[in-house]
Amino acid sequence: MRPPGCVRPPLVDHMTAFLSGISVVCFAASYAVALGCEASRLLFRSGVRGIVMVGFATAGLVAHTLYLGWRAASDSAVPLSSPAELYLLLAWLLAAGYLWLTLANPRTPVGLFLLPIVLALVGVAAFAPDVPSPLLQDSTSRIWGWFHAALHLVWIVAAVLAAVAGLMWLIQAGRLARKQPPLRGFRMPSLERLTVLMHRALAVAAWAAAAAFVSGIVLNAIQFRRGATESVPWTDSVMFRMGIMVAWLVLADGIALALRRRPGGDRVTAWLGIASLVALVGWIGWGLAIPSRHGSVAVDRPAAVSSHEDGL
Amino acid sequence: MSTATTTAAATLALVGGTHRTVPLELRERLAFSAEQAAAALERFRERFPGREAVLLSTCNRVELYAAGETTASAPEAMELVAFLAECRGLDPARLAPVFARERNDAVVRHLFGVAAGLDSMVLGEPQILGQVKQAWSLAQAAGTAGPLTAGMFQAALRTAKRVATETGVGRERTSIPSVAVADFAAGVFQRFDDKRILLIGAGKMAAETLRYLRAAGARDVTVVNRTASRAVELAARLGARPGDYTALEAELAAADLIVSTTGAEAHVVPLAVFEPIAAGRKGRPLVVLDLAVPRDFDPRIGGLPGVWLYSVDDLAAACDANRTSRQQELPAALAIVEEESLRFMADVHHRTTTPVIEQLKAGWSETGEAELERLFRRLPELGDAERAEIRQAFERYAAKLLHPPLVSLRSESRSGPPHGLVDALKRLFQLGE
Repeated sequence: MRPPGCVRPPLVDHMTAFLSGISVVCFAASYAVALGCEASRLLFRSGVRGIVMVGFATAGLVAHTLYLGWRAASDSAVPLSSPAELYLLLAWLLAAGYLWLTLANPRTPVGLFLLPIVLALVGVAAFAPDVPSPLLQDSTSRIWGWFHAALHLVWIVAAVLAAVAGLMWLIQAGRLARKQPPLRGFRMPSLERLTVLMHRALAVAAWAAAAAFVSGIVLNAIQFRRGATESVPWTDSVMFRMGIMVAWLVLADGIALALRRRPGGDRVTAWLGIASLVALVGWIGWGLAIPSRHGSVAVDRPAAVSSHEDGL
Repeated sequence: MSTATTTAAATLALVGGTHRTVPLELRERLAFSAEQAAAALERFRERFPGREAVLLSTCNRVELYAAGETTASAPEAMELVAFLAECRGLDPARLAPVFARERNDAVVRHLFGVAAGLDSMVLGEPQILGQVKQAWSLAQAAGTAGPLTAGMFQAALRTAKRVATETGVGRERTSIPSVAVADFAAGVFQRFDDKRILLIGAGKMAAETLRYLRAAGARDVTVVNRTASRAVELAARLGARPGDYTALEAELAAADLIVSTTGAEAHVVPLAVFEPIAAGRKGRPLVVLDLAVPRDFDPRIGGLPGVWLYSVDDLAAACDANRTSRQQELPAALAIVEEESLRFMADVHHRTTTPVIEQLKAGWSETGEAELERLFRRLPELGDAERAEIRQAFERYAAKLLHPPLVSLRSESRSGPPHGLVDALKRLFQLGE
């Protein structure tokens, strides 16, 4: 709070106006342009496309970062405490990963696979509950809450990477089986690298999801013990939703491990990665459609992530 | 663009033949070794004093580039043909019909295309650029290089770099071993230094494929051959380990990548032999480059999970696809060559205006100095600082007056030597020859 009579410097006002003017549309549009550039690799060669693509992706990421930072600074709520923020942060992580991978491997069109997911997550955030969890009232709960949310970030990013690696593996294997050389501007990573990535991502997704599930139960147990809630919500929708997701990921990882040294095992792992993304979409859809202790669109979404009127 | 007028100032000439026009037996007799090329350039210097020359001799082409300024223009084409014939002890009448003869702009365009690999047997091949650099270095050492050829060869190297980076004309691979390794084996394996490579047989393409594998990092290489002594000899030559052909099944089970080039008339590895081996590999991927004709591996082996089998025909089809892809990039590459040629020729044409500009500047400077001296005599009270200010003002004024004619000269140089403007300047300002 400013002391009475204190005049805010004009620069601060300008900065405040600038930051509050950054909207979802700003970075979503930048990512969409970068995606368009990626897609154009298949159509024609261009000397400036790489610069334009990285430029828009960087601009999007900067706007995205400022947007999340502004939200964290202006809301009294704990960062990462609402599903909407979780999806926005997931999109940010994947966009940052895309930029890093593109700079490290400019000839690999990783954006064609990652950017649609980034845009989808930004879209989902607009419909996800945007109120802080009621459970995070004290410092112990907040620590567990952050831990729980961070694990969610980890398993979802890992599941997305498993799916992207799986899809790339199938495309690359298909081309190699048909004896086709790499397409111009569309060089996939080797099967060896993709196989390692698929297995690691599936394992991380399974264990992080399980840990997120357990940490959520611990968080509820703490609240119950303190009398903040009437019971641990064993029968709540969120329990079934997360339990099924964890069961699927552990099963997928188990199958991938069991088939690792078997002929054709890598192909099955690739499909398991893609199936995990489908499961993730179902998990998100369930969360949006069915009310739970995590909140839902129908019950407690006073204001979803807004697309600011003043655009870019 | 007029080439006739260019000859009045700076002339460029080229005679030479390539695989397209000169039969192989004649190319063999025409080819210059490095020593022979150096001797030929020495002889050129004595025969055509004051002229510049660069001799480019590769297995597919022999070309002599010559250049000269107004006082000693480049030799005529027939003189150059006779010179090359004399150097190689050939009858000029044999060379004249198969040799191309170009002058000025066409020489520049040709050299730029050659350096960029656009005139090579395999479109876009990069080796020619190294050979162009070598030819230039040889001319420098022999003392036949000069300002015109320096500018032209530097611009050629720049053009080649632009073509390589801005177009895909040299990007796609077109030889079977390079496609086998870079497009297919590298599509399966991320690295080769931890892979076990098995060479079966001693075919010509095995060594070439191994060269690419070594460049990709391969270290553990085993060579097996039906004749053990041949395997030992080949292994020693390739820096590999000789293997036991009688234990071929064990070698197949241990290998990650196989290059097979035997001369066998039937499959060396039938499906029935390979199936139990594949089962024992525990899903480890295997790349088989079957470069033998007839094939060494039963093609049905390629249908087994984890086995990536490529025959010569598969790889040749990929090479053809890459060649087509290169051809599609040709117009973009030619556009760069044209653009760079025009830029270089504009510079060459502009060089002809240098003496007139120098005279003009010197004349104005002389007049300005005389006026300044008169002014300073009339105003003796001026200090050094004021005098320096006034001198600078005079110089700026002269530079500003000179700027429009210089711009006009440069602009006119784009379409040929600006003789009209140069003559006008000479007459208007009464400049001497």
